[in-house]
Amino acid sequence: MQILRTVLLVLATVLASPALPQGDKPLVITDTRGDRGMLAPYVHARNGIAYLYTSYVFDSLIAQDAKGELVPGLAESWTLSEDGLTADLGLNPKARWHDGQPVTAQDAAFTFSYMAQNPYPFASLGNIGQAEAISDRHLRLTLKKRDAGLFSGLLLALPILPRHIYSSQTDPGHFASPAAATGSGPYRLVEYDKAHGRYTLEANPDYYRGQPLFDTLMIVTMSTDAALQALNNGEVDVISYLPPERAGDAEAAGWQVVAARSGHIVKIGFNHEGLFGDAEMRRALAYALDRQAILDITSTGGEAALADTGYFQSGSPWRGNVADPAYTHDPGHATDLLEKQGLTRGASEKWQRDGVPVTLRLLADGAQARIAQVVTDQLEAFGFTVDLRLMEQAALQAVPAGGDYDLLISSTSTTGDPSDIASRVKGQSWNADRYHGDGRLDTILQEAGQSATPDERLTHLHEFQRLYAKELPSLMLLDPVMATAHNDRVELSFMPDGALIGIPTAIDKSAFVTE
Amino acid sequence: MLFGLAAGLLLLLVAQPLMPAYRSSRDVLTAPGREHLLGTNDIGQDVLTGLLYATPNTVLMALAAATVATATALIVAGAAAAAGATTRNMILRLVDALQVMPSILVLLFIGTLMQPGLAGLALLLGLTSWHEDVRVALAMLRRELQRENVRFARHMGASRTYCLRRHVLPAIRPALAALYLQNIRQVTLRAAGLAFLGLTDPRLLTWGGMMQDAMEHLYTPAWLWLLLPPALALTAFLLIILLLIENDPAGARA
Repeated sequence: MQILRTVLLVLATVLASPALPQGDKPLVITDTRGDRGMLAPYVHARNGIAYLYTSYVFDSLIAQDAKGELVPGLAESWTLSEDGLTADLGLNPKARWHDGQPVTAQDAAFTFSYMAQNPYPFASLGNIGQAEAISDRHLRLTLKKRDAGLFSGLLLALPILPRHIYSSQTDPGHFASPAAATGSGPYRLVEYDKAHGRYTLEANPDYYRGQPLFDTLMIVTMSTDAALQALNNGEVDVISYLPPERAGDAEAAGWQVVAARSGHIVKIGFNHEGLFGDAEMRRALAYALDRQAILDITSTGGEAALADTGYFQSGSPWRGNVADPAYTHDPGHATDLLEKQGLTRGASEKWQRDGVPVTLRLLADGAQARIAQVVTDQLEAFGFTVDLRLMEQAALQAVPAGGDYDLLISSTSTTGDPSDIASRVKGQSWNADRYHGDGRLDTILQEAGQSATPDERLTHLHEFQRLYAKELPSLMLLDPVMATAHNDRVELSFMPDGALIGIPTAIDKSAFVTE
Repeated sequence: MLFGLAAGLLLLLVAQPLMPAYRSSRDVLTAPGREHLLGTNDIGQDVLTGLLYATPNTVLMALAAATVATATALIVAGAAAAAGATTRNMILRLVDALQVMPSILVLLFIGTLMQPGLAGLALLLGLTSWHEDVRVALAMLRRELQRENVRFARHMGASRTYCLRRHVLPAIRPALAALYLQNIRQVTLRAAGLAFLGLTDPRLLTWGGMMQDAMEHLYTPAWLWLLLPPALALTAFLLIILLLIENDPAGARA
């Protein structure tokens, strides 16, 4: 009886205690899309958000602070040799895997060789000649050629794997047991509900880089309306992607909203093997379109800003501080340019080439349906006949470069370390520019990659920006705005160039750790 | 009424070059008013203009596709009813196979090969929806064929065609009309989805397409002028067809 009374007393004290301390209540983050896959490098879904969540669990050699500046990650120091071909990194001796084992240079070296054999889509290791562990704390990387983006690109993006777990895995794409999510990051995955797309992460108490801010992080799937309701009810703390036109609703309810241009722009790509093979034709099209009107019509709630035409978007640290050519709507000039290319106006003012009416075949990602319709209207008003097709992304991917199209409206990233730009310009993916031109852009990018100093790299990138806006491998239309709503339990902000690999987000892991 | 409908459609078709263009504008989602009698949609297109362009497209396509579907179903059911057990079973298995296979697959496949216009679309929609009516039509036909009046007429030497025309078709006419109406409704809504598969030009305006676009605005006041006009137009159209069928002198005689 005495014991029971004591137990009851203790229980009553616990239950009656005032509000739990901040860290004890889970921080709940909403995601509008469902399942992002298991949070381990080879099994998460292949999109930026899944990669971002995985970065809560897996640290890289180099990390970012809340402003996006490079700070020590698993490596507490790094140096680059004079010739730029050898990098020496000193690993943090306090770093531990979630199972308690120390993180060593052998783990890092193993990651490089393992990922060379089992390619990981978010990190390209083609330029790494050798990765060797000189000692437990000393990792040496030998490069095949200079890479100005080694630290801000590859080493920031590459999650380090635990050798004692992954060395026995020959098929990591099917390794999804809980052990696969053994990382060295500030949070460890304790529960993953695939059906509901729900994740529970707990603080890693021995985290080497400071104290995780919350004992528990939860990621739940919710529609925007449900999420706003839940934020009002105190059930969630962060709406990771709030449609910008709903920002007013959240602010009216007293919540904080941070918003920024995403740098994931909507653009018109050209078929460079067809009518738009010549830069003059692309410029003519740019002048024929009224980009400002496209923005005004499709973004009445502040969903986007007018994109910059020189690839890098306003706010990007890589961007030169000059105004890009705006290609302000000028049908007269567009007409002049087209006529110089041998096009003529035929009956009822329709454009003709060699007496044959020009029909532009315009493909668009279904998500860009409204923009595509406005573009079509403008082109028709200018005298082109347009054959518009909205397609699924999978179907668009199947349309080869030089295939049966003239224009292609898609969305693509311009953020992250510039070492990826070459693949976004030359690459064959449906939303890449698929552009080779006279090779000048490629040369500039290679020179930028070989730069010895950051300043030299920037000089080349500014030259790239200028030439891109002139040559128009693609015409950038709009830069969508992204917004995040949250209560006062967290302090969030968007990094200027996106987090890690250029993900436009306010919920990078730096927001959830005290330095 | 039939003449009125036909004349109205013809007028809309002829007047199309004279009508204002259905273009996007900066007047996005304006409520009905003096300038835009039925308001504008989310890219500033005038809803009334859209409705006028969509009407002949929708009506002609729906009538044609539903006719193709209902007629094909009736012919196949007739063949099955007239044939022996083996053939009938084969036909029914074929129908089962078509029913199991989603018609969207067929449409996607065709969409990669060609881009049909309005007529092609009607044919395509008709040919991918007839199988759903075969079993119903067959049951009706077999029931009627076994009735006393048919058997008596046959006994008295009446030809199959005579029996079909004089006894069977008039008897199943109301049910056929119901199938026809159902086909019209289904075809209208299915046509709306095809633009999203890249099968047709998304600017090919139909009521179904306008309704589909309006669904995004269900939670804003804009649904009033985006969803209601095409939905009411579709309802009115179905009602008119229903009245036409019911008041048809040939139908009344039966």
